Amino acid sequence: MYDKTVRRRRAVLALLVALSLILLTAYFGEAQSGGLHSLQSGFLTVVSPIQDGANKALKPVRDLFGWFGDTLDAKSQNKELRKELNRAREQLTADQEGAHKYAELLKLDHLNSALSIADYHPVSATVVNQSPNIWYSTIIIDQGSSSGVRINDPVIDGEGLVGKVTRVASDGALVSLITDSEVEVKARISATGAIGMLQPQVGEPGRLVMQNRSSNAPVTRGDYVVTSGTVSGEGDSLYPPGIPIGLVTSENEQSPFKSVNVSPLADLHNLDTVEVLTSTSGSRPATLSTLSERLGPAPSTGSEGEGTGGQAASTEEAGGGGSTETG
Amino acid sequence: MSSRPVTQQLGAQASSAWLPGSLLWRVAILSVVVVFAQIGLISEVPLFGVSIDLSPLLVAFTGLLCGSMLGAIAGFAVGLLIDLALLQTLGVTSLTFTLIGYWSGRLRELRDPQAALTPLLVGAGAAASAMVGYSLIEFLLGVDAPVSFELLRDIVVGVLLDTAVALPMWALVRRCLIGGLPEDPRRRRRRAYTTGGLSPLSRSSGRGL
Repeated sequence: MYDKTVRRRRAVLALLVALSLILLTAYFGEAQSGGLHSLQSGFLTVVSPIQDGANKALKPVRDLFGWFGDTLDAKSQNKELRKELNRAREQLTADQEGAHKYAELLKLDHLNSALSIADYHPVSATVVNQSPNIWYSTIIIDQGSSSGVRINDPVIDGEGLVGKVTRVASDGALVSLITDSEVEVKARISATGAIGMLQPQVGEPGRLVMQNRSSNAPVTRGDYVVTSGTVSGEGDSLYPPGIPIGLVTSENEQSPFKSVNVSPLADLHNLDTVEVLTSTSGSRPATLSTLSERLGPAPSTGSEGEGTGGQAASTEEAGGGGSTETG
Repeated sequence: MSSRPVTQQLGAQASSAWLPGSLLWRVAILSVVVVFAQIGLISEVPLFGVSIDLSPLLVAFTGLLCGSMLGAIAGFAVGLLIDLALLQTLGVTSLTFTLIGYWSGRLRELRDPQAALTPLLVGAGAAASAMVGYSLIEFLLGVDAPVSFELLRDIVVGVLLDTAVALPMWALVRRCLIGGLPEDPRRRRRRAYTTGGLSPLSRSSGRGL
C-alpha cells in the first residue's frame, strides 16, 4: 500500500515536471504562430472579458491602494522637491548676491577708470558690520593693516566717497562715514569750482552741509560736489581729487557764508563692497600726503588752501582735479 | 510496515486517501480567484518597487495542508494559469510551482511541523524559491538581463513582502480548504487536547461528577 502510494506520488511529480519541461521546450522552440502560442492567445481571448470585468470590479480597491502608494510616493517626492527647492533658493541667493557684488565692482571699476584710482592702490573690502543706530556713522570692513590699510585712508564705493579709516586692526578696520561728526572733507562744487568744508548736518543724519565756501557764486540744485584733492590741516585725509560725494539739494540764503546742503551719492545704509585707497609709501599720493604734513598749516594771511599750494598743484597734476588753490 | 517511521505512514496515508472531489474543487476555485486577484489587483499595487506575489504562497500552503501530490498538481495548474494569462513562456512557472507545491507537501508528510511560525517560514521559502527559480530558468533560456544589484534587491524585497503576508494568506487558504480535507486523527487529537476534551484532568473531573 505504502509503496504503491509512494510510486504514484513520484510518478505524478515526474509527470508534471516532464510536462512542464515539454511545454517549456516546445513553447520556446516554436514560432509565434505555433500551437502553444495560439493556445495562449485563445486562452487570453476567453479570459480577457473576465479579466476586464475583474479589473473594473477591483478598480476602486486598486485605486484605494494606489492612493496610499501615491500618497507615500508624493510624500517622498515632496521631501525631495523641497530639498531641491532649497538648493535652488540657495543657488539663486548666491547668484543674486554675486550679481549685486558684480554690479558694485563694476561701478567701482568705472570710477577707478575715470579717476585713475589705481594710482592710490585701492584695496577691495567687504563691509562686515554696520553701525546699527540711525546715524549709520561707522562701518567695519574686513581688510586691515595686513592689506596695507592705514588710518585716514579714504574709502569709496561705486557711487563715490564713503568715508575714511579711523581705526585699524590687522584684519579689519573701522571706517567713519562722511556723515560722522568727526569727518570733514574739503570739497568742490564741480559746476562753479567753489571749495568748502563738507560736514554732517546737525540734527539730520545722512545729510551734509558745505560751509566756508571760497566763492559765493550761485549754485544750482543737482550740481555735483566732489573732493577737492586738498587738505585743510594736519591729520586731515588726502582724498584724491574729483571723487563724487553728493548732489547739491539747496542753498541756505540766511547763512552768512551761504552754506549749501548736500545729499550724499553713496547709499550709506546699504554698503556692501568698498575700496580703501591705501596709497602705499612711495606712491604719488603718499608723497603728497607726506609733503603736506611737512609744510604744516597754511599761513594765516592767505586763503585756507594756500598752505597746501604745492600739494594742490601736484594733486592737480596727479588726478587732473580742478583745485585752483596755489600759493 | 511497522518498521517504517510513523510520519511516513501518516504521509502515505494522507497522499493515498486524498484527492476527494470537493477538495479539488476548492483548490481549483481558490487558485483561479487568487491568480486573477493577483493579476488584476495585487500586481497593480507596487510596494517599494515590487509587487506582492500570492501565487507561490497559495501553492506552498496548499501543499502544506493537502500533501505533496495535490501540492504538485496545484502548483502545476497555478503556474500554467499564470503563464497563460500573462503570455509568459509556458512551463517556466509551472515547473517552479510544481516543485514548491511538492516539497511543501513533503514537509507536511515527513515533519508535520506545528509551530506557529511554520507558515511564515514556508511562505518565505516558497517566495524565495519562486523568484530564484524563475530567474534561474529565465537566465538559462537566455534572457539578456545582467545579475544586478537592482535584481537582488527586488528579490530580497519581494521575499520580505511575501513573508509579511504569509500568515494572513495561510489563514485564508486554511479556511477555504479545511472543510474539504479528510479527517486527520492527529488533528483531531490536537484539537481535543486544545479544547480539553481528552485532557486527563477533564476526564478525571468528569468522572468525579
